[in-house]
Amino acid sequence: MTTPKADFESYWRETVEELGRIPMAAELTPIPLRTTDFSTLYGVHLTSIGPYRIFGYLSVPTSTTTSATKGTKGPHPVIYFTPPYQSVVQPIPQGAANELRRHVITFTLAARGQRNADKPFAAGFPGWLTTGITDPAAYIFRGVVADCLRGLEFILSRTDTGIDPARIAVVGNDLAFITAALGKGATHVATAPELFFGMPSQNASGPRSEVIDHLRQSPNDKTKIENTLALYDLRAFAASAPAARLIQAGPTGSDLDGTALAPLTKSAHATLCESAQSRYKDGLALMTWLAEQFNMPDPNIILPAAWH
Amino acid sequence: MALRKPTGKPDDFDAFWNDVRRQADALPLEPKITADPLRSTDDVSVFQVYFTSLDNIRIAGWYCRPANFSGTLPGLLTLPGYQAEPRIPLDWARQGYAVLNVAARGKLKSHHNFNPGVPNLITHNITDRNTYAYRGIIADAWRGLDFLLAQQEIDPSRIGMVGSSQSGGLTIITAALRSEIKAASAGAPFMCALPEAIRLTDTYPYQEINDYLRVYPESRDAVMTTLSYFDGVSFAGQVACPIIVNIGLRDNICPPGATRAVFEAIGSADKKLYPYDGQGHDAGAHLQKPIVTEFFARHLKNTGASS
Repeated sequence: MTTPKADFESYWRETVEELGRIPMAAELTPIPLRTTDFSTLYGVHLTSIGPYRIFGYLSVPTSTTTSATKGTKGPHPVIYFTPPYQSVVQPIPQGAANELRRHVITFTLAARGQRNADKPFAAGFPGWLTTGITDPAAYIFRGVVADCLRGLEFILSRTDTGIDPARIAVVGNDLAFITAALGKGATHVATAPELFFGMPSQNASGPRSEVIDHLRQSPNDKTKIENTLALYDLRAFAASAPAARLIQAGPTGSDLDGTALAPLTKSAHATLCESAQSRYKDGLALMTWLAEQFNMPDPNIILPAAWH
Repeated sequence: MALRKPTGKPDDFDAFWNDVRRQADALPLEPKITADPLRSTDDVSVFQVYFTSLDNIRIAGWYCRPANFSGTLPGLLTLPGYQAEPRIPLDWARQGYAVLNVAARGKLKSHHNFNPGVPNLITHNITDRNTYAYRGIIADAWRGLDFLLAQQEIDPSRIGMVGSSQSGGLTIITAALRSEIKAASAGAPFMCALPEAIRLTDTYPYQEINDYLRVYPESRDAVMTTLSYFDGVSFAGQVACPIIVNIGLRDNICPPGATRAVFEAIGSADKKLYPYDGQGHDAGAHLQKPIVTEFFARHLKNTGASS
């Protein structure tokens, strides 16, 4: 396991403390177009460090206490979808069954730079991962992580929605793992790492190739970038992330495969799942794990119809 | 949900699209090409490009070609999916193609004068075919083809189109309307057999249409009429080039029943369907990749490779 750098603790403690000094200033606006007879959708604006205004979608089952026709009784579990590495964020991730919203409180976050949280900073894709990367204090993901922590804090503050504090899952890429480790209240985490796991290799694909692009043009930045990325390396968060964790690794042989990510599974309740290179099989693995963790009687109630 | 029968291909379908084409062709392309040294590699030259499309919207894209080549290159056109930004298509350039990935209107670098957002893109002006979002998005794909045709290093008789999801649907539509596309590969095509697709799914993006109809039930006829002008099935009969289509039989976003329907409607005699069991919206992309590579090599590079 990677030993956290000496300034790791202070870097994140100061970030969390800075966030604590900024009022959340939550503002909820119902969105009738995305509201159904079984769930209400809200657009949510919050303030994070900077100060910076961020955005999210909160979906709340219409009834928090009674049994839906084929659902579970409230209080309801929560799935917090942290920001994906893309410009747009939808009310629930593309491909997720809308029926999920009948049984689960969901919150999806658009962090600084993403659509609906892109003023004054509009992220480039590619480009988000390397914005300010040579200076840990100015690195854009320091703010993005703070945004994610604010999102978790917001969810836990909404006791009026019928949240079940024993079933709070954070789901997403590396940001899910970091958020669940640094924040308070997450009981489960499911992560599919793609950003922060050591220095990317020369043939890295996806977002990590942005780092290679940067180094090709500015090779003298290597040490600075290594120092910044060490503060975000998932291995440094492994001890503090929730024990109930699903690690969704890349396919065998990829640079983030199950062997590489094994250090994240040092928990009695960890599940490691390598990608089957099928969005069906990988998605099914995630949703059935969540249903099992949430003690749902039938995982089909939260699966898209095509996966039943 | 009870849906009325599909409205089918409208009688004035060809006239409608001929008029859109006339409007687009009347505008100068005004291409702007800027080298991007940050994203270029030893073997691939990368350029950020802009050009003008329908309604005078400036459209962005990534253009890549081999850093070193002689003679002319085969060309490839592609676009990203509904919610994605265009990636830099280094892989195709490394295989010897000059390739353009178009950020159609509404994407990050093409949204200054058109920004419905996501969600909302697929329902933007959905009751009016003359201003519906996909009228412009389809034109943006054509204009991407016009951009490729304007590049001296590209052989205009060897241009193909490849894409998945929204780009898969646009591949079928563009191949139908533009005979300059000589070979096409479409994965999990979006915007196809729409009445059936929205009935079969409760996932976004199609769910956006269901949301709209729930709130505005009185607009159902107008919505279905508009969609009939933009449904891949309405275009597919005009596809004449060789084409391959791959679908995932567990696709939860573009239901395989709908994607099969568009394949069956394709007019080309040289067509092949690759259905993948146990695959979702990625439609077996990792299994299909070598097939697509060989397909374009055979049709665009004259390598003599066998099918």
